[in-house]
Amino acid sequence: MHEFSIATQVLDAAREAAADHGADTFEGITVSVGDASHVNPDQLETCLDAAADSTITDGDLTIDIETEPAYAECACGWSGEPGEIDRALAYAPNLTCPECDARLELQAGNECRLMSVTLPETDDGSDPDAAGSPDANTTD
Amino acid sequence: MYHTSRHPLTDATPIDRLLDRLLSDSGQSGLLGPLGAHRMGHGEDDHEHGGDAEADILAQFAEQADDLHERVVHDHGIFVAEFLGATGSGKTRLIERLIERAPDDEEIGVIVGDVAGEDDATRFRELGVSVANVNTGKECHLDPSLVEGALEDLDLDALDTLYIENVGNMVCPADFPLGAQARVLVVSATEGDDVVRKHPLLFQACDGAVINKVDIAEAVNADLDLMESDVSEIAPEMPTFRTSAEHGDGLDELATFLDERGHVHASDHEHTHADGQTHEHDHSHEDGHDHAHKHD
Repeated sequence: MHEFSIATQVLDAAREAAADHGADTFEGITVSVGDASHVNPDQLETCLDAAADSTITDGDLTIDIETEPAYAECACGWSGEPGEIDRALAYAPNLTCPECDARLELQAGNECRLMSVTLPETDDGSDPDAAGSPDANTTD
Repeated sequence: MYHTSRHPLTDATPIDRLLDRLLSDSGQSGLLGPLGAHRMGHGEDDHEHGGDAEADILAQFAEQADDLHERVVHDHGIFVAEFLGATGSGKTRLIERLIERAPDDEEIGVIVGDVAGEDDATRFRELGVSVANVNTGKECHLDPSLVEGALEDLDLDALDTLYIENVGNMVCPADFPLGAQARVLVVSATEGDDVVRKHPLLFQACDGAVINKVDIAEAVNADLDLMESDVSEIAPEMPTFRTSAEHGDGLDELATFLDERGHVHASDHEHTHADGQTHEHDHSHEDGHDHAHKHD
């Protein structure tokens, strides 16, 4: 049950992102879980809910979990979503390059990311866009 | 409620990482062999996560592991190997055998992760090595900060080799790299010959696999060839070793592999830091090398 450690980190990151926008709480988060990570999305959601109850929100936290497929690029030029190993009893990407048989390294799909944070609407009617999510930082 | 827009999943980040990878690992893929998902690299993790709006939570653990690696492997020149696998797979016995075959002047430390108890720690102490016991309580895995704490109990200046025995668990440790040069997954014939297929992602996150208790495979009707072919299908190019830790069989190949991880790691550094600053790192690894050789 390592999802609880991860949930705690996710909420810390969300808290930081909210603080960056002058908010001391948040109402919703979107988390992306890579298919090839070892994080169980359902367990993560449960843990986020439990951890948020005890540490953050007054009301319910809206938790959105999306999954990200595996993606690899090979030195030979092949790139894409690796197939699945049929023989395996749980999901695992096939890390043998379909073109050259070399071992693939995943470029994506083995991560767990906090994608966005929803902040409460401000009482003074200020533009919520200014607060928004941590994504607002990314345009550079 | 204001809903924010999501970033497309094909964000620039993977490209950054690819570039980092290309810059740091170019030309070495053949040399390094299998690279676990969380293998310690150098350069590739210099990549800034803090500035990213999308915080990769797992990368934070990987960064902590990098810091550990920097401190233990580089600053102190210690060779670090982590062993993970289920309770009863034989991790403790395997490490005991590696300790027994080491030369007298090799200073060895062991960090023992266990949910509770001193049993394994006591076994190692009886072999005369330094031991830091970590009772994780409700946590099912060691994480970098627990290892960091355990290091307080060890004299890093004196150590040549550090073995880390993770908590017996086939799922949770995978996302928590500990900064080791070799991450070895230990399974045993008694776990059933489908154990590899049950835990494919864990195999993909490791550098080497041990199939232990091969001496009783027949008694439990385990097909060792099947297990080995499963490993090579799931984690291509990953070396697999058949051992009977109880009887001390098959350890030569494993010890050689561990020695080689130290070497490959060193050449990794020479390569990465081919800007004239290699001598520092080379120097810090020299101890590890000498001792690695003495295993033979």
